[in-house]
Amino acid sequence: MLDFRRNKREISAAVAYLVLLAAVGGVAPSFFGAGNLGDLVINNAPFLLIAIGMTLVILLGEIDISVGSQFAVASVLAGVLAKAGVPVPLLFVAMIMIGTAMGAVNGFLVGRFGLPSIIVTLAMLVAWRDGLRWVTEGAWVQGLPENFQWFGLGQSGGQLVIVAIPLLVFVVFAWALRNLRIGRAIYAVGSDAEAARLAGIEPKSITFGVFALMGGLVGLAALLNAVRFNEIPSNAGIGMELKAVAAVVVGGAAITGGRGKLPGTLVGVALLGTIATALTFVGINPFWEKAIQGLIILAALVGDVVMRKYEERSAEG
Amino acid sequence: MENVGEQRELRTELPLAARWFPNNEWVLIAVLLVEVVLFSVSGANFLSAANGFEISRLAVEIGLLALVMTPIIITGGIDLSVGSMMGLSAVVMGALWRDAHLPLPLAILITLLVGVGGGYLNAAIITKLRFPPLIVTLGTFSLFRGIAEGLTRGIENYSGFGENYLFLGQGYLFDVIPTQLLIFVPATVAIYWMLERTAFGRSLYAIGYSAEGARYAGIKVRRSLTVIYTLSGFVSSLAAVIYVAHLGQAKSDAGTGYELMAITAVVLGGASIFGGRGTILGTVLGLFAIVILQNGLRLSGLPAELAGIMTGFLLIVVILFDRYSKSASAAPAGADTEEEFEVKNSQVGIISAAIILTGLIIAGSNWMLVRSIRDNGSAGSSEAKNAVQNTGTGKKAVIAMMPKAKGDPYFISCKKGADEAAKELGIELLWDGPTDLDPAKQNEVVEAWITRGVDAIAVSVENKEAISTVLKKAKDKGIKVVTWDADSNKDARDFLINQATPQGIGETLTDEASRIMGGKGEFAIVTASLSAANQNEWIKYIKQRLTEKYPEMKLVAIQPSDGDRDRAFTETQNILKVYPNVKVVMGIAAPAVPGIAEAVKQSGRNDVKVTGLSLPNMCKPYIKDGIVDSIVLWNTVDLGYLSVYAADALVNGKLKKGDKTFEAGRLKSIEVVDDEVRLGKPFIFNKENVDNFDF
Amino acid sequence: MSEILLNAIDVQKSYAGVKALRSASFELRAGEVHALIGENGAGKSTFIKIVTGAVEPDRGHLEIAGKTIAGNSPTISKELGVAAIYQQPALFPELSVAENIAIGYEHGGFFGRVDWRARREHARELLDRIGARIDVESEAGSLSMPQQQLVEIARALGAEAKILILDEPTASLSEDDTNNLFRVIRGLREQGVGMIYISHRLEELPVIADRVTVLRDGQTIGTRVVKDVSRDEMIKLMVGRELSQIFPKREVPIGNVALELRNFGSRKAGVKNINLTVRAGEIVGVAGLVGAGRTEFARAVFGIDEADSGEVFLNGVPIRNSHPRDAIRRNIAYLPEDRRKHGVILDLPIASNVTLASLQILSGRFGLNFGKEQELAAEYTRRLGVKTPSIHDSVATLSGGNQQKVALSRWLLTKPAVLILDEPTQGIDVGAKSEIHALMTELAGEGVAILMISSELPEVLGMSDRVAVMHSGTIVKVLERDEATQTEILALALGHGAAAASS
Repeated sequence: MLDFRRNKREISAAVAYLVLLAAVGGVAPSFFGAGNLGDLVINNAPFLLIAIGMTLVILLGEIDISVGSQFAVASVLAGVLAKAGVPVPLLFVAMIMIGTAMGAVNGFLVGRFGLPSIIVTLAMLVAWRDGLRWVTEGAWVQGLPENFQWFGLGQSGGQLVIVAIPLLVFVVFAWALRNLRIGRAIYAVGSDAEAARLAGIEPKSITFGVFALMGGLVGLAALLNAVRFNEIPSNAGIGMELKAVAAVVVGGAAITGGRGKLPGTLVGVALLGTIATALTFVGINPFWEKAIQGLIILAALVGDVVMRKYEERSAEG
Repeated sequence: MENVGEQRELRTELPLAARWFPNNEWVLIAVLLVEVVLFSVSGANFLSAANGFEISRLAVEIGLLALVMTPIIITGGIDLSVGSMMGLSAVVMGALWRDAHLPLPLAILITLLVGVGGGYLNAAIITKLRFPPLIVTLGTFSLFRGIAEGLTRGIENYSGFGENYLFLGQGYLFDVIPTQLLIFVPATVAIYWMLERTAFGRSLYAIGYSAEGARYAGIKVRRSLTVIYTLSGFVSSLAAVIYVAHLGQAKSDAGTGYELMAITAVVLGGASIFGGRGTILGTVLGLFAIVILQNGLRLSGLPAELAGIMTGFLLIVVILFDRYSKSASAAPAGADTEEEFEVKNSQVGIISAAIILTGLIIAGSNWMLVRSIRDNGSAGSSEAKNAVQNTGTGKKAVIAMMPKAKGDPYFISCKKGADEAAKELGIELLWDGPTDLDPAKQNEVVEAWITRGVDAIAVSVENKEAISTVLKKAKDKGIKVVTWDADSNKDARDFLINQATPQGIGETLTDEASRIMGGKGEFAIVTASLSAANQNEWIKYIKQRLTEKYPEMKLVAIQPSDGDRDRAFTETQNILKVYPNVKVVMGIAAPAVPGIAEAVKQSGRNDVKVTGLSLPNMCKPYIKDGIVDSIVLWNTVDLGYLSVYAADALVNGKLKKGDKTFEAGRLKSIEVVDDEVRLGKPFIFNKENVDNFDF
Repeated sequence: MSEILLNAIDVQKSYAGVKALRSASFELRAGEVHALIGENGAGKSTFIKIVTGAVEPDRGHLEIAGKTIAGNSPTISKELGVAAIYQQPALFPELSVAENIAIGYEHGGFFGRVDWRARREHARELLDRIGARIDVESEAGSLSMPQQQLVEIARALGAEAKILILDEPTASLSEDDTNNLFRVIRGLREQGVGMIYISHRLEELPVIADRVTVLRDGQTIGTRVVKDVSRDEMIKLMVGRELSQIFPKREVPIGNVALELRNFGSRKAGVKNINLTVRAGEIVGVAGLVGAGRTEFARAVFGIDEADSGEVFLNGVPIRNSHPRDAIRRNIAYLPEDRRKHGVILDLPIASNVTLASLQILSGRFGLNFGKEQELAAEYTRRLGVKTPSIHDSVATLSGGNQQKVALSRWLLTKPAVLILDEPTQGIDVGAKSEIHALMTELAGEGVAILMISSELPEVLGMSDRVAVMHSGTIVKVLERDEATQTEILALALGHGAAAASS
């Protein structure tokens, strides 16, 4: 049962999204064509993985702005490995491990040394990106093996995998975040790290783990995104970090930690992932896309305040 | 109280070290010194007054942002919207001046007011609605840039500003001092004054440590925050005004990514992201640590990407250092332990400095090693040819060549040809440029080359107005200048290596589309970013060609890809659905075409074909599949090859004004018309011939 | 004799060079309520933190449930059955009540499953047991302070703690809630739970405690059976000397009315209908229980929370303070209750802290005059006897008492006419305490009107010319010095004004 009171942020984001969809549908009914909805889902599925990771990071009260650069590094490595003849199942394992390793660097510096995550990941954002540029000199990975695209499953089979994995991860994480003790520990640390420590939770380990997990999800996302094509560019993921943060915040999570839910993030991803397409369908100039994105973030904030005010008033009255 | 007697002597004087370097700023001075020593050895003309001033010119815009970011970070806040505010301000100023015909000073004034307004918007949301600055300014980061793009539809590029105004960004006082220092230096002093010498500044530190505590001490927290965020908007606008004067053009992409650079400088300078600590001296040192690193690497002919890696490394070392010196000073402050932990503190300092030093030295020596190996290698293999071909001069020419963006596959293929030519000619080739399209960076690189003293500069120009001044300066210094791929103003270069004019490209693309469509029907374009100058030029000629020659063809949509393959993919999917009658999708950015092709392929629409401008290798699979009917391009490898040959010929006097042809290695005799060296017409790659090319 | 649950012998701990515990020994048996008393700053909280593993002792022997503990940690102590209810609720504000309670009792690996239904039911049951009516699904952060405390008690109950530490649990509870809690405590005692009960309300002890241990200056003074020890004896053990010795109260000439409040109130602060006058040279004590609105009243006067009813007169002129800045400009100063959060800015140097409220007097044509700042800061640090090697060290390096002196210096530098002191000696060592009292006397002598909020009745009685007693957001009565007694004040504070008058 959906309890409005406990999920008001998520529900209001969803309602806002539905209103937007209805408006788009009113102007351009073809938006709801099966083909379009399918494409939207497939295109945003890998990004959902990153937003899931970012939700965990933000729940801790931290932030990771290196994910875009990690994504680019992981994409290229996925291609290099595939070219080297690594079979598909092993590719999954390898990519998750590579991602986890990159995330672990952040996790180590933030968790172990207690350095501010925004600075650590800012440094990593620059370092990974420029490191990749140095090594690849901008070259794409080409000449991938035949069975790389769609994992050799053909278009529809591959698409199924691309959508199924993130959705599965989403369901598992949403469930685990709510129903496993480890999930609740993340909330506890984000809510009050010292109180969590007193309750027998180790905030340092949790922080390390979450950043490593974030990296693993980036690795997986990079792989799923890469197999949609038969070449891998070396400049992927620019600006992805801010989009992920925006999706999480629009989905109702508090940047200060401890508050937020994965279903909200799903709505946030859907909202931000739909704008560009919706604008094209409605016939609004794509030049306004960024402005609208900004307005959505600010509107989410203002909406939160309005809701808070309303609550206070109803609590008083 | 009377019990003072038993107290130990109270120290009231602040030790000098603590006064000047409250946050271990001396570490940065050490870093700077190491940088300077290393680069004065490895970089040509690094240690000269002119280079010193040049470095400071390059630092001005980001420096201004870093200056105003400092008080914000000291209060524990952050402002991600400064770079976007620069874009918005640039556009507003351009529009007011050119379209609204306001006199420039008035336009600038209004622009600065827009900055104040934008900053106040941030301030109002942060202080009134009480949201974290990170999220608020993330929102306005998108909003400001979005408004700038929306207002100009991305394509507007305001240029043609008067000399007096441009002097602000490009001129020199007494022939050496860049004009904008006249703004930067007073701004630095003013913000230093505000932050460290006034009651207001002191209250910002208090707010940073504890906003609540500050309020109890009678500090008006909200008002103070409002002031600094508004100031941030204002100074961002000011930075934009200088930026526009510096580049001679106002576009919506001004200042992209500058916010992160500014934050990096501030944090490197010892400010704590949690608030409370930071100094203007630190920020300025942090700024120059980054800028000198970039400049020095450039003058040493080392890859610019190292700057990013080193900056990231430095950032982490600096905050780690900070962390440990702080935990040391949090130790008991009993009278006896005082001495002890001071020692500890400095020990930590020395260790950290040593780490940085060794890091830099190891890195530096490695690069130099690599570089010398490379040099020897190329010199060795081409020595024989060198002797044959360059007997006339006997000197090894240095030719510096710049693409629009280093990472772009198109330019990578050009580099292939350039390397080939350099090897044959036995010259030293410097290949450097912005990592992404960035006209300001192009100027910076040229400036560095002038300082370094190269023989010839070959530039693929991103922005005519922006680069022409500095190219002229290079010419004045006796450096031969050619442009390739895209031209500057005519008087700013000696020759243009002309592979195709925008008009030629536009027309060929249109003709190809027409051929595929049978001269009628709908088609769509996927471009690079909406503000990309070249693409907008081509689109102009495509539209012109349509009205003149193909009235039955209709261009229904122009969608952006931001040079991102995946984005091109999504946009094409949308185009195919929204405009079902589209017969051809034309990609006019190299990475866009494979994205378009993949989208068409996955849609299963056999009736839609793809054409455009891209590289054969990238599109090969799709050309073979028949999805991409054809792509239009010249032989990019030959373009790079020819450019180096032409530059070398200029240096040796083998190519002069009035020549009709010149010999360019394996390309044999090349036609020269007036001041243009012609590569030949655009080439059309298709199923039949694509296998003959590898680039 | 029942089993010994906790045995601590000669435990020591210093913070930043200041000894918080010199030698604390304590023994707790199953099925007893063992009160731990002592003045603020005697080391009770530190001792508790050592038992719960929040901090590590420097030296000493600690034995929990028969096991000698070498390196204690929150996890270890929790596993051994220690649960604590701190003065400041340590709940997770964003999490639901049910979850906050569950975190106390759930054990096992991170991949253990959470049973929400069971959590809710168990939470309801636990809350029912202590008679608290709280929605288990509401966010903990949305509850009132007393409600949060009840949740904490429920959490400890749920943890089936063998050792339960209650740190002033009744401080903000109503009488009904208090009785209810005592019922719960007795129930637990019967089940063999050992409880460490910390309270300032000595009159509670005969009702609830079996034994009492007194801490003074970080040292265990002695352990007595509650039945055998009188209240006065307890106080004597706690204080270690006669009352009159500590309070250097001097008669000074009383001047004109400096501050006058008429029907003063603030909805935001939750105070109303306050009538009070403070004269120059007078010290008016403000007594009342935690939650009676004393601090809120001071905040409203100082302009931190907006006052929205009644009038304020300063030297007969009506004023309105809508921001602390306004109050400071009118020479009103407020030394806040929470020293570390509000009183000083811990990470700023001492000098900057001292001058923070008077920066305008340092501002010259050339900006801040650092020389003058050093002079003034040095003058006040010396005058108040702040023990520090340099005025440029951060306040965080000082002990509590010295921090408080810095906080006080800040306000003295503003040359206040009205000085509001909120728990000026809470949590600071005895030496600094008497220095501050002496300073108050000195200031009164100079004609400063002082309003002193304190929870320590001896302090209120010893220092005040008059005592205003607050109860549920208003001043119920102002007592003259000679009519103020502990029982009288307590009765008024508990809301039994009429009963006290008749007895």
